[in-house]
Amino acid sequence: MVISVKNLTKRYGDLVALDHFNLEVGEGEILGLLGPNGSGKTTAINCILSLLKYEKGSIDIYGKPMAPEAYDLKRKIGIIMQNVAVFEELTVYENIDYFCGLYISDKNKRRSLVIEAMDFVGLNDYGKFYPKKLSGGLLRRLNIACGIAHKPDLIILDEPTVAVDPQSRNNILEGIQRLNREGATVIYTSHYMEEVEQICTRIAIMDKGKIIATGNKEELKAMINSGEKITVEIYNPENRILTDVKNLPHIVSAFFHDSFLTVKSERDKNNLMVLIDYLKTRQIAFGKIYSEPPTLNDVFLEITGKELRD
Amino acid sequence: MFWHIYKYRLKCLTRSRQMMFWTLLFPIILGTLFYMAFSNLSSVEAFSHIKIAVVDNEEFQKDTNFREALQSASDPDNGDGSLFDVTYTSKEEGESLLMGGNIEGIIYFNNGIKLILKESGLNQTIIKEFIDHYKQTLSTVSAIINRNPEAMQKGLIESSTSHKDFLKEASAGSSAPDTTVNYFYTLIAMACLYGSFFGLNEVTVNQANLSAQAARANMSPVHKLRVFIYSMTAAATIQLVNIGILLLYLTVILHINFGTQITYILLTCIAGTVTGVTFGAFIGSIVKGGEGIKIGILIAGSMTMSFLSGMMYDKMKYIVNTKVPVLGYLNPANLITDCFYSLYYYDTYTVFFTDILFLILLTAFFSLLTYLQIRRQKYASL
Ligand SMILES: Nc1ncnc2c1ncn2[C@@H]1O[C@H](COP(=O)(O)OP(=O)(O)OP(=O)(O)O)[C@@H](O)[C@H]1O
Ligand SMILES: [Mg+2]
Repeated sequence: MVISVKNLTKRYGDLVALDHFNLEVGEGEILGLLGPNGSGKTTAINCILSLLKYEKGSIDIYGKPMAPEAYDLKRKIGIIMQNVAVFEELTVYENIDYFCGLYISDKNKRRSLVIEAMDFVGLNDYGKFYPKKLSGGLLRRLNIACGIAHKPDLIILDEPTVAVDPQSRNNILEGIQRLNREGATVIYTSHYMEEVEQICTRIAIMDKGKIIATGNKEELKAMINSGEKITVEIYNPENRILTDVKNLPHIVSAFFHDSFLTVKSERDKNNLMVLIDYLKTRQIAFGKIYSEPPTLNDVFLEITGKELRD
Repeated sequence: MFWHIYKYRLKCLTRSRQMMFWTLLFPIILGTLFYMAFSNLSSVEAFSHIKIAVVDNEEFQKDTNFREALQSASDPDNGDGSLFDVTYTSKEEGESLLMGGNIEGIIYFNNGIKLILKESGLNQTIIKEFIDHYKQTLSTVSAIINRNPEAMQKGLIESSTSHKDFLKEASAGSSAPDTTVNYFYTLIAMACLYGSFFGLNEVTVNQANLSAQAARANMSPVHKLRVFIYSMTAAATIQLVNIGILLLYLTVILHINFGTQITYILLTCIAGTVTGVTFGAFIGSIVKGGEGIKIGILIAGSMTMSFLSGMMYDKMKYIVNTKVPVLGYLNPANLITDCFYSLYYYDTYTVFFTDILFLILLTAFFSLLTYLQIRRQKYASL
């Protein structure tokens, strides 16, 4: 195990931010920590890193207890914090060189590592730029370069794509997968389920300081009852329609949202044709219609009764 | 590792416009304003060299004692002690200068010293006093010589020294130049305390609950206190250079005379700088609240301490030292200005080293409290 967290409990005053939080991360994984705002992702990461005090629990990294003085462990870790952590007064090159230099003393070796890191995030043309002159997306890339230049075995990224344009986002996500292929174990926190689905080999869903489900995306989706979700635009929404639809076979739930009817089917059942037949025979006028496979949001919704994103 | 961190901290701090403004530019601007205000004041109020003419005749040439006394009273190297601006002329030429208002008086020898003045005023009184004093000393000396001719050699030497003393007294009494210098002492003290901005900054970039950069650095395999101490060394270095630049500006450009004991002056600047930088670290680590609040406290604190040591009102230092002497020892600005004072006015170093000792004690106190805050590595919240 690269990381093993047991019964971690952390309070901020009266607020319980982590409540018997358990997590295991194996070598070579990209573990996605998915949870809504305020669910405790950042708190969990900072406790794991021994930056935050906690009331209860144990944290082992590479089989050793993590502590502020565990320098041999720190040497293997690269962190990318939720807030951009670079110096305004240093250029892109200097920022990466400064942080890399806290790990690597050899100047020549460091120079090639810094250049490699700039290449990696696509900042090679920006070496002499000050952070103020970088766009939001480029700044995030610099933030990442500062955390990975020393080639850590374990990389922890806390929402590295917040407020980032699609181009930089793809660059970042691909980069993380590349680091993983090169051998790094990755923990990636996000509240974007699409990102997590796209790159993570395993996902831990978090709510109110607890892990509520873990598995790869297929496993997670298999945990819930609902399968395909159909949305139909109905020009004259009536309660009668709702009652009828709920009586069709294999329907788990149906509800109106304005003039849109959402129908969820049982797992592995296909209800699209049945529904269209029903609408036609009753001569109910309908417009747009689409069907989607279940998402992690559905998983979250079914377990917690609320949406992942508000 | 030391050079790596030291070098980058130097870069960061020197490139910070805000901090360089407060620590370097602001004291220079304030110094320039002081200079302009005081040079105005002294030309209006009183002290400038008194222009006189001395008639260069045979009798004058013979009176070596007087020539010596006059020389030391008009010696430009004597700095602020220089009393007269002397023109050596013939009597006629002197009189036309006096009529034209170019000089204040004429000294000439005709069976003894004679003085011609056109009007009466402060400058005329000073010239007269000078002459009277000289005559009086001379008569004392000749009385001694008459009674004890062997003392002649010695007596003459002493009399010439006493002339110098008179001149020193006179220049100290005419006050303007010396109090001006006091204002510049408080300015340097204030500049030293402004080094606290650097100290504050170094705490911020090393405490994970104060900045994201610190959280990143704290996660590195370098001990937090090591990073912090190297950073503080960089902070002190820059501030010392800033103070050096300020000193050069004041002495070379503005011609402020701080005396000649350069080693002790530098020692004062070093002690003051280190106290200032650790003061900032102390405020940065013990005060809870945002960076804005802390900077506010530093500015207000430095200003108050400079005020109490006489920056805006020169009697303030005296009032504090007599009414609440303890405050004088706890106020680094007061200790720094006291160091300069003692170098200028006293021949012994007791006061000077007492002040330095207290500065060191204050530094130790600030450092200890900072250490107690900084050494914790896990935070209740970030
Ligand atoms: N310094 C703090 N003091 C008090 N409460 C805090 C502090 N930091 C976080 N919290 C609270 O702890 C809970 C967990 O916060 P945390 O930042 O860990 O969530 P998160 O999952 O990272 O959220 P986000 O997606 O917005 O980053 C929240 O309810 C938050 O309000
Ligand atoms: Mg967070």
